Amino acid sequence: MLEHLLLQAIVVPVICSPAIILGRRVCGKKTAWIARAGLLYSTLLLLFACLQLAVTSTPLVEHYPFAGPAIKMNLLGDGLSLPIALIINLLCAALSFYADHYIDHRIEAIYGNVDKKTAVNHYTRFYALFLLFPTGFMGVCFATNLIGIYFFLEILPLPLYFIMAMFGYVDRVRVAMICLMWAVFGAGFFLVGSVIVYYHTGSFAIDSIAGLSGTPAAFWAILMFLITIMAKMAVVPFQVWMPWVHAEHPTCIAGLLAVYANIAVYVMLRVLIIPLTGDFQVFSLPLMTLALITMVYGALLTLGQTDIKRFAACSTISQLAYSMLGVCSMTKAGIDGGLFFFLGHIMGKTIIFSTAGIIVYTTGIRDMRQLGGLARKMPVTTVLWIIGAMGLAGFPPMNSFPGEWIMFTGIFKAGLIGSTGKLIIAIAGAAAITLSVVYCFRSVKTIFYGPLDGKFANNDHIKDPPLSMSLPLLAVAATAITLGIYPKFILDLFHQVVSTIPLMY
Amino acid sequence: MHLYAWLAIILPLIGIPLIFIGSRINGVLRNTAAIAFPIMAALCALRLFPLLLHPEQLPLESSWIWITHPFILEIGILLDPLSLILTLVVSIISAIIAVYCLGYMKGDPGISRFLMLVNLFIGSMLILVLANNLLLLFVGWKLVGLCSYGLIGFYYQDDRKYWIGGPEGEAPMTTPSFCGLKALVVTGVGDLIMLGGILILFFFAGTLNFMELYSSAPTWFPEMARNPNMAVLVSIMLLAGPIGKSAQFPLHEWLPEAMAGPGPVSALIHAATMVKSGVYLVARLMPIFYIGRWVANCPDATIFFTITAWVGAITAFIAATQGLVAKELKKILAFSTVSQIGYMWIGLGVAGLTQTTLVAGTSAGIFHLISHAIFKACLFLCAGSVIHTTHSIYIQDMGGMRRYMPLTWLSMMIAAICLMGVPPLPGFWSKDAILLAGLEAHHIPIFIIAIITVALTAFYTTRMIGIVFYGPESPHLQHLQEASPAHEAPAIMWGACGLLALMILVLGLGGPWAEQLLHHNFTVNLAETLKLPVNHAGEHPFNYHLLVTCLSVASILAGAVPAWLIYGSGKIKIQIRANSIFSELYTLFWRRWYIDSFYNLIFIDGTLKIADFVAFRIENNFDTLVNRRLPDLVTETLPNLLLRLKTESENFLYIGAYLMAIIMVTIGFALWH
Repeated sequence: MLEHLLLQAIVVPVICSPAIILGRRVCGKKTAWIARAGLLYSTLLLLFACLQLAVTSTPLVEHYPFAGPAIKMNLLGDGLSLPIALIINLLCAALSFYADHYIDHRIEAIYGNVDKKTAVNHYTRFYALFLLFPTGFMGVCFATNLIGIYFFLEILPLPLYFIMAMFGYVDRVRVAMICLMWAVFGAGFFLVGSVIVYYHTGSFAIDSIAGLSGTPAAFWAILMFLITIMAKMAVVPFQVWMPWVHAEHPTCIAGLLAVYANIAVYVMLRVLIIPLTGDFQVFSLPLMTLALITMVYGALLTLGQTDIKRFAACSTISQLAYSMLGVCSMTKAGIDGGLFFFLGHIMGKTIIFSTAGIIVYTTGIRDMRQLGGLARKMPVTTVLWIIGAMGLAGFPPMNSFPGEWIMFTGIFKAGLIGSTGKLIIAIAGAAAITLSVVYCFRSVKTIFYGPLDGKFANNDHIKDPPLSMSLPLLAVAATAITLGIYPKFILDLFHQVVSTIPLMY
Repeated sequence: MHLYAWLAIILPLIGIPLIFIGSRINGVLRNTAAIAFPIMAALCALRLFPLLLHPEQLPLESSWIWITHPFILEIGILLDPLSLILTLVVSIISAIIAVYCLGYMKGDPGISRFLMLVNLFIGSMLILVLANNLLLLFVGWKLVGLCSYGLIGFYYQDDRKYWIGGPEGEAPMTTPSFCGLKALVVTGVGDLIMLGGILILFFFAGTLNFMELYSSAPTWFPEMARNPNMAVLVSIMLLAGPIGKSAQFPLHEWLPEAMAGPGPVSALIHAATMVKSGVYLVARLMPIFYIGRWVANCPDATIFFTITAWVGAITAFIAATQGLVAKELKKILAFSTVSQIGYMWIGLGVAGLTQTTLVAGTSAGIFHLISHAIFKACLFLCAGSVIHTTHSIYIQDMGGMRRYMPLTWLSMMIAAICLMGVPPLPGFWSKDAILLAGLEAHHIPIFIIAIITVALTAFYTTRMIGIVFYGPESPHLQHLQEASPAHEAPAIMWGACGLLALMILVLGLGGPWAEQLLHHNFTVNLAETLKLPVNHAGEHPFNYHLLVTCLSVASILAGAVPAWLIYGSGKIKIQIRANSIFSELYTLFWRRWYIDSFYNLIFIDGTLKIADFVAFRIENNFDTLVNRRLPDLVTETLPNLLLRLKTESENFLYIGAYLMAIIMVTIGFALWH
């Protein structure tokens, strides 16, 4: 079972995907359990790998041939990739349970009361596509060469495009196209960066990127990769796709969209900061400045939203920039904290987005101004939203709290040993968290507090969702709290890799 | 001994799930869990009391490693005089208030949520005061803020009867959910600025442990101060948190609105405990800056004490003036709380300004914290009982309540007299100790402000008592009487008030002894354990003690007598003429010095306007440009070229071609380069 563990994590979902399609005639909607079982299995595998790594400190390396000597599909499970993959897989598993009712609701909303066979077709189609997400994410995490990362990054927009177009909201087809175009845009630059690396080093392997160090080509390669990363992370001025894409997709993949954007931080670390530490220093201050601008801009944008899904989408713009700020501070604490905050953010965002989905599912309303007072009839949903808000605002005991603390320790360190500009960014960045607190808890007030509208008061359908929707989110919340109380496990794993980066602090 | 400290923290937290489970079974089980755990926590804290009698055995620490990478951070507790005193105050008063809550909240549909939040608050507050490092303190700090938010907005459905402000038609009213959010955000601003200060401190000191910070300060503080203005910056940033949490100027505007919460919440969180956490943190950080100033000889370190003292003085005065005209019973007490905490800040501020006032200022500030916690908790609980009976938050709807609620009246009278600083109650001892420390530090402007504030305090307290208990019965009360006669609060409620009143009397009679005990503890802690340089005060030209007592008593009389004649006995009738100076002053105080309006205009309206501008102008236009105009431009400029490729999803192909062109050019450029 533990042979080819990393490969299994990537391939199991892909195997499950056609199995769902093939089995739908016989098992109907029950084939979704294939997806869930596959994801739970790979989550357990990854948990085991993390535990093993924590004990042995020996990274898992698997060698697979791919396309000649220049491109090998080797996989690496180290202190960086394994914990990130574990949490992402966990979220995928949780959302596979959450999606059960939600996707039925979307099918009904979009396609009307279709016959059972058609409904099953739509339903299983969703799950078959859904499983490409974990494959893409695991691939990005474990790939050891640029073509591998490019390949898996390119896989991700495909399920996104089709799920969006088939199960999204009002403007779904156009937005699916926007999403795909932005993915192509980013991928193009990634490819250019990869070609530059290959041209100068003769290899696509991430290990060989260090060969560029100190050459002018390093600057251009970094720039190309950075454009991709910033486009993925919706850093200002590349943010315009995010509100559309996050607002129009079905919320059962919302958490994965946050991962889709945030995983760029991991790529930045893996492809740029670790191999090209010295060359990346010159980008540190400009990127930190952009991150600060994005944090504030995203927060203000969030405050201006009235649509519950756009609200969550815009907050993602702001939150993603926190991780970037930490990682680009070029301190070990900043990187450790930035990555840990990344985990906190994707978990918090999964909860918030999915809870937004519950509200839309239950009330059919997206305009927050038309909501209000829901806490009275939906207490569990309220608790979930507040937990998500706490996660985004960095309150203890959520795991974003230690992430934020460690990350800002690094950012302040960068400011105090570096330029005054970085210190100003550090102080402004810490103060900017206030805006997160404002928009997170203002949304609690708008949606859940205040008098209950008459249209809800007498409506028996306005109630907490079925357990299959709330339990997975509560499990994610429990994991986030556990990691908040005991972050050492993950941080120690991170440190196995981060400590090797030649940084002074 | 460590075990008791840990238990004091853990027990209320264990109570939370048990209250939840109990609420699913029956009310008695829930109520038992709700009070049993705070009481057990208080008993554990009491078990620590003997340590205060032997301060030379302190400090005691117990900790374990929380994270080791990227740096070592620990979680632990510190038992020293400061943490022990706060632990006792928090746990005992919390336990009493928890009992009172059962009566006050009886029949409320949200009682389980309320009780869980109260238990979470007690546990978090004890984490805050017992933490041995700034990280764990910050955890407690954030959690108590969160509990405060939840409890202020407890009546989240915003029923009109829970709105505060007003009276209706006279002033704008606010909903509980808004008040909770306001408190969270205003204190949050301070918290996050403080976080920056803590991280700068961590950078220079390399530790967050309090004892290590103190012991290594002579080394790292001068290094920090070598950076121009760094000590000033750190002082300001570190004080921002306590300023917010303790509702001091300029972040004091959230506390009056915090009165939207149920009465016991106001007593527990917004009078007796949480708002004191700012005072506690200032006292906790003081030795660092004292070492910076008097050991490492960094003049910049003085700014910490100067800001503390002045913030305290300004707040004490401003809040007291607002208390003079307030019409809501709990709001008068809220302004009073803000003002009294200002006194504590004065005490701590002047403590570091000279080497002679360190122990006196510190023990005075902390003594006032203790006495204020007791008498203000008593006042709030009594006020809660009165509001419970009269079904109104406005003092003008009360009057003559002494007849109907004699036991509540008695307790409230004792607490009110204590608030005014009448001898021999503890308020007298502690307030005079602060005044004396101010005078000994030769900070005359602050001393004068403090003396004036004593008179203002006496005035608003007497006005409150006069109107509520002595004045003529209000039409509202008369109307209420017709439906059901006003009556004394249930035994569980007046019992809690009575117990606090008794504690006031005991502490008053033992005031000098308590003061001496505190003085001894802080002498041992600061001068002997931490080895801070402390000088004894020289001979004064005249008896400062006597002078302070005389001035203090005279100020009380100057405030209380006219207030009694106007509002109590009604022998003087006053009519404020429009456009007179009194009228202007009244408006100024009633509008809270226009500070709240200013904040609303700049920070709330301003931020929302900017947010709208960003969302609807900048982002919309940019979005249109990138996601619509740019593809349109391509499709319009190159229609013929791409006509063959036109499909249903034309934009896709056009944009694809456009992007590919960019990519190819870039690749070409890179290869050529």
